[in-house]
Amino acid sequence: MKTSSIISLLLRLFRKPSALQSFRKFVQQYPVEELVSKATKGRQAIFPLSELDEFGKAILGAPIYLEAPLRYDTLEKILIVPPLYTPLRLKKMEDLMREPLFTDVETTCTIGGFSSSLPVAVASMGSTPVYNKISLAVSKASAKIGIPIGIGENVATVWGYSKRVKPSQPCFKERIMAYLDNLRDGFGGVFIQQSVEDAYDELWNRVYSDPDITPYIYEGKVAFEVKLGQGAKPGLGGETFVERETALRLSEKYSFDADPKTTNKQMYERHSAPGTYTPEILRSMIRLLHNNYPRAKIWIKFGPYRDLADVAALCDEEKVDAFWVDGKEGGTGLSPVTALKDLGLPLLAVLGKISRLKQRVDMDFICSGRIIDGGDAVKVLCFGAFAGIGRPVVVAAYANGGDGVEKYFEALKTEIQLLTSAVGKYRLQDLGLEDVAAVDRQLALDLGIRSVYD
Amino acid sequence: MIKPPVEELEKYYKTIRAPKMRLILSVQAEASRAVRGWLDSNGFLELLPPIIGPVTDPGIRGAKQATIDYYGKEYKVMSSAILYKQMLATALDKIYFFSPNIRLEPIESAQTGRHLVEFVQIDIEEADVDYKAAMATAEQLLSHTVNHVAEKMKKELDQLGRTLPRFRTPFRKITHAEAVEILKSYGEPVNPHAEIPWPQEEKLSKIIDEPFFIIDYPRGARGFYDKEDPARPGILKDFDLMYPEGYGEAASGAEREYEYSKVLARLRESGENPAKYGWYLDMLREGIRPTSGFGIGVERLTRYLCGLKAVWEARPYPKVAGVYSP
Repeated sequence: MKTSSIISLLLRLFRKPSALQSFRKFVQQYPVEELVSKATKGRQAIFPLSELDEFGKAILGAPIYLEAPLRYDTLEKILIVPPLYTPLRLKKMEDLMREPLFTDVETTCTIGGFSSSLPVAVASMGSTPVYNKISLAVSKASAKIGIPIGIGENVATVWGYSKRVKPSQPCFKERIMAYLDNLRDGFGGVFIQQSVEDAYDELWNRVYSDPDITPYIYEGKVAFEVKLGQGAKPGLGGETFVERETALRLSEKYSFDADPKTTNKQMYERHSAPGTYTPEILRSMIRLLHNNYPRAKIWIKFGPYRDLADVAALCDEEKVDAFWVDGKEGGTGLSPVTALKDLGLPLLAVLGKISRLKQRVDMDFICSGRIIDGGDAVKVLCFGAFAGIGRPVVVAAYANGGDGVEKYFEALKTEIQLLTSAVGKYRLQDLGLEDVAAVDRQLALDLGIRSVYD
Repeated sequence: MIKPPVEELEKYYKTIRAPKMRLILSVQAEASRAVRGWLDSNGFLELLPPIIGPVTDPGIRGAKQATIDYYGKEYKVMSSAILYKQMLATALDKIYFFSPNIRLEPIESAQTGRHLVEFVQIDIEEADVDYKAAMATAEQLLSHTVNHVAEKMKKELDQLGRTLPRFRTPFRKITHAEAVEILKSYGEPVNPHAEIPWPQEEKLSKIIDEPFFIIDYPRGARGFYDKEDPARPGILKDFDLMYPEGYGEAASGAEREYEYSKVLARLRESGENPAKYGWYLDMLREGIRPTSGFGIGVERLTRYLCGLKAVWEARPYPKVAGVYSP
């Protein structure tokens, strides 16, 4: 089993004794095994009947049930419900002049102005060392597959713009070029965040005037992503731990739990501000972006805030290209436990709001938050959003490098095709609320979908 | 779009020896004298410009600021000295300086013929006046300068093949919204919430073939220091002054936002942490006078006076985005 080797790899990155306990919990509560299996076996992992131990699991349904009831509803409470009568399959048969198969499902689409080979985008992951270390493998793999990818905040500020400040950690420019230089023809695009602290160094201006990136900006492959929030900690800023050397270097730009100049400890808590918004500030900010970077696309990264509908309507009016919403299950990078537990709307609530919004706005939505497999992705598509993927690519990359990421996406594609074809559809945009049902009547009512018992 | 002559720029020590350059730079020198003469006789005090400071004007249409290491702290090379102009006008009423600025412009700006990375602005600021007064100053100053140079440098301009029209005040004023409508009627739709893109600005400057102001830009199209009209939320009390004949922008100015809380909210639009603006916010918090002012690009003025294709002909050692020249 490769799981143990990943844990030891991850552990090497951390020096605190409590890390072991955290990772044990992570492995217990997150389907690491499933992801490792996909990262190593790719599509084979989807068909568990090929191996006896997996066969046992499929029969017993071990990973299907939750160990403890969650305090909020999750995608687990929704099922994809195929009909027998499938007029769109008939139509597809007319086009093909044969019975359609799941492989006939077209997964190519346009997300936030970028063309993508799958209805998914890789979430903006930032400067956190665990991710940054494997970021080049993820960038290259995502480029080869042809799906959009984000570069999260603080990367340039913490790890350098074009030169590494630490030999083992790739800098910003390496991350973006690893993606752009390997991009599958006609596909993909990169969206770049700028935190309040990155703004100090004018990251976006720097990108926009960088001669190496300019040709890609001309091709429409670059977006700037305004980060308004993050899944597990809406209303809070970025938090991370840095070593003294880094803390000293960044002392002008960030605030720390202790002044690294006058105190001496191994690790410092680095806080960054969540940013202050009003409708006027947000509107002007988007207009300023269109004004200053006319060739860049504008993406918004939103947290699970209760005023989602108002903010999304404003962003649609201001013609942003994509609106990404993390459910509270997503964007977990270094979030305080209390926030993980109690802050923000769960993904399912976000999806309910989006399916209603989709009736009046035509902006692209992307949703994330513990989206792991094709089933999760298809459910999200049924509510009118694309799927945002974060942690699975990290696990896949640690398990099997860039190859692991490619295999993971290969498996994801097949699962999406299987489930879409099962409801008799061959184009992703045909998926809709009629294709899902809730296992709970009240939930069905709240989400405007059917109950499985109807 | 014009391609910059890379070889001529790289070997600039040869380029500057061309007889044409002597003519152009003489016109430039005379224009500077005319500007100083008019401003001095109208009560403006010439000061020395700042070159570096802890902060400068935040990004202008995607241009990056240049940074230097100032005894372990980051300092910025002025991309515009606007924050200092507010400081100075509060103390000294009517001021101006010839301010060298650096803006690391996006690569595509190399082909507009109107952008240089290093350039000089004549920066003017006056306390206790509104933007209409600033426009009156701008039109009188520009008319004086153009008409003076047309007369005094007639011989040089003839050799350059340039005939200048006579400038008469007051200049025509159109609102940004009207400019958008005019462009639309000429089949050039532009974003009504942004500054007018360079090619369309050039077109407008050909359509309205006289010097004119575009006033009242929408909030979000300009920096945080352009004052929002309290009577018309979303509209700024600001202006661009345009040359005729397709030469585009001559000057850019505004009535300034000077109240602490308003500046703070506007600063958020650029996504920055206001803390970065330390001394400036201290100054606003303690109170400054309302001011209005504008900046005239010296190279663009020279380009217009001499009828040149591009600004890189309008100064010695021009720096064009992405070209490595002396």
